[in-house]
Parts: sequence; C-alpha cells; structure tokens
Amino acid sequence: MTTTLSGRDAYKDELARLAETEERIICLEADLGGKNHPFQSRHPDRFLNLGIAELAGVDIAAGLAEAGYVPFISTFAAFAALRASESVKLSMGYMGKNVKLVAPYGGVSGGWFGTTHHALEDIAVIQSFQNIRIACPHGEEETRRVIREAAASTEPYYIRLSRNDAFESLPRASERSCRDLLVEDRATDDRASLCLISVGEQATELCKKLAGEYEIVAHAHACYVDSQSLKAYVEPLKALADRFLVVEEHRATGGTASYLALLMPEHPVYSHNCGEQWPIYGGTHEEVLADLGFGLEPLRRQILSLAGGPDGI
Amino acid sequence: MEQSIPVYREEQELSNLALADRATEARKLILDMAATPTGCHVGGSLSAIDLLVVAYAKYGHDKSTSVILSKGHAAAALYAALYVYGKLPSNPAESYGKQGSLYTGHPNHKLPGIPFATGSLGHGVAYAAGWALAQKLRGTGGLGIAIGGDGELQEGLVWETAQIAQARSLANFVYIVDCNGGQNDGHVDDISPIRNLKERFEAFGFAVREIDGHRHDAIFSAITPDRERPLAVLARTVKGKGVAAFEGNPDAHYAKIPANLAKRWKVNLS
Repeated sequence: MTTTLSGRDAYKDELARLAETEERIICLEADLGGKNHPFQSRHPDRFLNLGIAELAGVDIAAGLAEAGYVPFISTFAAFAALRASESVKLSMGYMGKNVKLVAPYGGVSGGWFGTTHHALEDIAVIQSFQNIRIACPHGEEETRRVIREAAASTEPYYIRLSRNDAFESLPRASERSCRDLLVEDRATDDRASLCLISVGEQATELCKKLAGEYEIVAHAHACYVDSQSLKAYVEPLKALADRFLVVEEHRATGGTASYLALLMPEHPVYSHNCGEQWPIYGGTHEEVLADLGFGLEPLRRQILSLAGGPDGI
Repeated sequence: MEQSIPVYREEQELSNLALADRATEARKLILDMAATPTGCHVGGSLSAIDLLVVAYAKYGHDKSTSVILSKGHAAAALYAALYVYGKLPSNPAESYGKQGSLYTGHPNHKLPGIPFATGSLGHGVAYAAGWALAQKLRGTGGLGIAIGGDGELQEGLVWETAQIAQARSLANFVYIVDCNGGQNDGHVDDISPIRNLKERFEAFGFAVREIDGHRHDAIFSAITPDRERPLAVLARTVKGKGVAAFEGNPDAHYAKIPANLAKRWKVNLS
C-alpha cells in the first residue's frame, strides 16, 4: 500500500523528480529542509542549504533566476512571507524574477510550535505585492501538480503548504490545470443556495465533509488565490450560486474572501477564518484551529445560520 | 539575462586618461541631475562614480559578469556611468525625476543595463552574490560585483550575504564598499561607526583590499577577484568628490543646486 505524502514531502520528492530532466532547477533551503532531503541525495550539486538567512536567500535566488536557473527556495511560511517580505516584494513582485518560494508550516499547521512559527497573515502580504502566483494546494497529488506548474512557468510563485498533514487530493482531470476552479460533483443539478470556496488543506477537508451532507451547498476548491486567479474564478463561481462562503486558514483581513467580495459586489461573500485572536495555545494543528473558532462544527453552524437554520437547509 | 555594457574601447586600449575623461563627463551629468527640480543624491553619487566607471570599463563587455549598484540612492551616478558607455537611450539629466520618466531617484530595472532595482539597502549585495553563485555553478568565470556604501553596512542583510559568500567560497564575488564616511543624517562615525572594517571582512572569510577609491588605476587593479575567497574592496572616497563645495560635507548627501552653479562647477571639472 502506498503511503500518502504530506505536501512538503510531496514537494521535495516531486522537485527531485523534475530535476532529473530539467537541469535549470536548483533547490535552496534555509536550514529547515530536514535531513535526508531527497533532492540533496539525488542532485547534490544543485542543492544548497544557504543557512538561516531568508532575506538574503530570496535575493540570491533572484540572482540565480536572472542567470537562467529555476530556483525553488523553501522555508517556513512565517519566515518566507514575513521575515523575507521585502525581498519577496522587490525581487518577486516588483521585478518578477522567476523565483519559486515554497512555504510549509502555513497557517497554524505548526500546532504546538507556537505563534512565532504560525503564518495567518501570509496570503494578505503576498497577495498585496501583485504579480506573484499564490498556490495553496490540497493533498499530495495537487501539490505535485502545482510544483510541476511552477517549474514550467516563468512567473514567481508562492506555494503555501502545511506541516505534516497528508491528504488525498480531490480528483481532477489530467488535462485541467490547478488554476481552474475545481467544483465537486453534487447529487443534484439544482442551483446551489450557497457555495463553499475552500482554500488550503484543512479548509478543503472541512468543505468536502459538509458539502456532502447538505444537498443545497456546493463546494468549489480554489488552489490558486492570487488576484489574477481570483478574477478568473468570478464567472465560474457566479454560475454555481449567488452566495459564497470562503473557508480559509487565515486572518479575515486580507484574505481571499476580502478580494472576492470586491470582485463580486453584487453577491454576498462570507468568510470562515481564524479570526482576530493570536494562537497562544499548544495542541495539534486541528486543536489550535479549534481554539481560533475554525473547524467542522463552527463551520456547520455558520452554514446553517446562513441557510436560515436547520429548516432552511 | 542580457546586461552587457558596450565598451568604449578594448580593454588593452584603456588608459587612465580615457577613464578620467569618462569620469569627468559622468560627473557633469550628475551635476545636471542635481540641478533638476528634484535634485539628487549628489554627494554619494560623486563618491561612487569612479568605482562605477572603472568597473564597467573592466567588466562591461563580459556578459557573464554583473555590476550592481547596491547603494541605489546614487542612481544619478549609475545613470551617468551607463550613459557615458552608450548604454542608455537618452540623456538621463533631461528627464530625471520627471513624470513618465524611467530615470527615477533610485535605479529602475526597466532601463537597459540595470538588472535589479536597488534603493532599499542591502538587497543589491545579496543579488550580486546570487549572480556570482550562478556563474560559479555554471563555471563561466563570470563575476557578481556589488558596489555598496559604508552606511549600508549597518544593514543586517549585508552580513547575511557575507556569511553565505564565505560559506559557498564565492571567489567570484566582489564587494566594493564606497567608504565616503557619510549617510543620510550625518557622518557614519557619529551615527553607528563601522569599526575595524578590514578585520570584520577578514573574519567573514573575505580577502580585503584597501584603495583610494578615486584612483582609476588602483580601482582597476583592486577589483580583480581573489583566487580563493570572496573579495571586499574598501574604497576610501570623498563624499561630493570633484566639487569643492560638496567635498566632505555631509549636507551634500542630497542636494538641489541652481543651474548657474551647476554650469560653473562643470567648467571647473573640465
């Protein structure tokens, strides 16, 4: 039986595989890639642990990109999006250097590691820089596909991953890009009363469960959440429902729901998010999320409330 | 990818006189930019211009070498140096700082010859190290050359990069520090002194050369890379060099000057 890999393990494996035939790929780490990195063992000449130097690492990646390499640089989301923020803004956003920034530990997936290792603000920061593709893949297969898409693209990428969550991705036709909105099949052809829009791994798992329980609820999974991708989602979303509930492991401010609401002013866009509190407690990923009011039952209550109560649904 | 600077003459033909002429023309352009309605960072531009002119003379023809002005506030010097090597499509002084002009107050990567937009200090040093790393991996022999300021050394990013440069044995990384002793609010020594600079770079594993940053022959010789280690060239310069009213004056960090003064000072330069 094959074990499903976490997103960050899938990233390492897929990148090492891609590098077999793409010599321009180079793998950079900021001392958080872990031992026994598959890229290091398979391509030692193109694996560089630059040490604990995130700001310099992103700029150095820009220099490598300018010289024709396709650098993938990885560190935890908090350090990638926040500590190295200015380098990301300038090298990737403003100058559009072909750098792929891969950020595990997105959201509060670090669990008991604490707030220094959490990133509930990263999408707001990166989205505001413009021109950077932002992908939040769900599960192993979608992560692998996003890594392939990033390697084939000349655009800068921010790829948000979790820590050790290992999920089966939603099925997607092989010819479809992860940039396409992925709509789960429903039991009815009726127009949905509410469409859940899932962003990220835990959110997608919650939406899978609840959309399956309520016939009038649709589920659209958004793998990419940069502003260009969100604009492309507008018409497909409008075809599904009139009201939307974005589920994302992020702050309310600057999240995907905020921008979608601006793009669809005639449609109500609600948000299930991690609120305004700091995650000060330990626990597993799911437990820390629960402390922030994010989870299956709070989401169920929100759906029922929007539907006018259990009778409405 | 393309960032080669057309050379004025073949390297063998270069003489101090040719470089001196070019540096003088560049200084005049800097004064012209200081005489625009916006003014410019004139002091640091005049201190760095000899470093830029010589770096382009020596390496401008080499496509595998990248010269980056990391102290981006000296954009007037960068534009002037590129212009005197025929790289820019128009005289930067004619539209510097104006609406619709790419000649912004900090280097604009939309212009030819400028692969990286500097201005936020420290980033250009790291970018140049990345370029050097790429050339080392490819075995091209190309260099990454950063020209920074001594005030810029207060940025942590510079030392992050120095750490990586030595760890990666980037012998093709050349870091030229324009040591003019000044920064925005005054003298470096009064604000946050950078003591024992030579020893600091040596402790980071760099080869270090100290030179007069206005002597072209000394610059030309000093920016040849070390065989084994990254190289720091500590170029002792004078802020505002070439204009008596500016020389050594920290108030010359940024200035707007009347056109008649610019005209007179340009004559003096000649």
